[in-house]
Amino acid sequence: MNDFNKKLGKLKGNTNPFSVPKGYFESFPTELQEKIIYENREYIWIIKLFRFVKPQVALGLMIVAFALIAITTVNFIQTNSSNSTIDNDLYTRTIEVDASEFTEQHFIDVLLDDKKKVNDHSTEDSEFYIHYLIDEDIDYQTLIEALY
Amino acid sequence: MSEYNDKELLALFKDVEKRNYAFNLIVRKYQEKLYWHIRKIVIKHEDSNDILQNTFIKVWKGLDGFREDSKLYTWLYRIATNESLTFLKQQKTKYLLPIVDYENNLKETLVSDVYFNGNEIQCKLQKAVLDLPEKQRIVFNMKYFDEMKYDDMSKILETSVGALKASYHHAVKKIEKYFTED
Repeated sequence: MNDFNKKLGKLKGNTNPFSVPKGYFESFPTELQEKIIYENREYIWIIKLFRFVKPQVALGLMIVAFALIAITTVNFIQTNSSNSTIDNDLYTRTIEVDASEFTEQHFIDVLLDDKKKVNDHSTEDSEFYIHYLIDEDIDYQTLIEALY
Repeated sequence: MSEYNDKELLALFKDVEKRNYAFNLIVRKYQEKLYWHIRKIVIKHEDSNDILQNTFIKVWKGLDGFREDSKLYTWLYRIATNESLTFLKQQKTKYLLPIVDYENNLKETLVSDVYFNGNEIQCKLQKAVLDLPEKQRIVFNMKYFDEMKYDDMSKILETSVGALKASYHHAVKKIEKYFTED
């Protein structure tokens, strides 16, 4: 270890193995000053820009905040209205019943539809009676004559 | 170079009208010492130049708040060391390199660097130093090349004198091993 320390000491006696470009240390303070001035200018420019746009930025932020509040309020109202006591079926029926929506054709369609339902019903009954009379072997001719 | 001592330079800096002049004197007084300190850590001249500029920009911004609890040159060395260590960290994360690979990269740079004029033994010594862990390398450089006192090193690196002595001892042993093995 001691021998090596001596060896290290001898090594150090030599010149600096590193070098720099010619005139580096002479020009460094000037380069540094320029960089500091440039950084200061940039900093001042940013501050000036910020001061200039400050009212516009504030106005913009106010608009954004207002829009956010409005959207939130609308969403809140819509969410609450969907939970109301009137269900969708009732709402639809209410709309359908609105008299202004009815036309003459609408009434005709409804009447025809009802008549059709009644006719279907009477056909079913007639068949039931005919089958009953056949099964019971009743003289339905006599019944017909009596009825008409 | 400068006829003013550190206290006088600081007093001069406090005078707003003479601030630029005082700072210029500080730069001229310490630029070489700090440059060589940085250069031995990061090896490349271009990187050393950037770090030296950043160091002095931080000094310019922070000199107003310098409380003179420590000596000016101790404070300057501390900023330069921290800037160099931060730079090394950034390089390792930038290229996603493990520590060993980055140091190997620096060794290759050393061989091809136009601003390295050392002979074979000096090159070998620098490579051995590059094999040391970062903190040990800084301690070795400060003690061996800059011949700095342990007390001053302790203030700069914020480490106890005992720990620095142990660190230097380990560094020398590792370098010896590097020389005997190779």
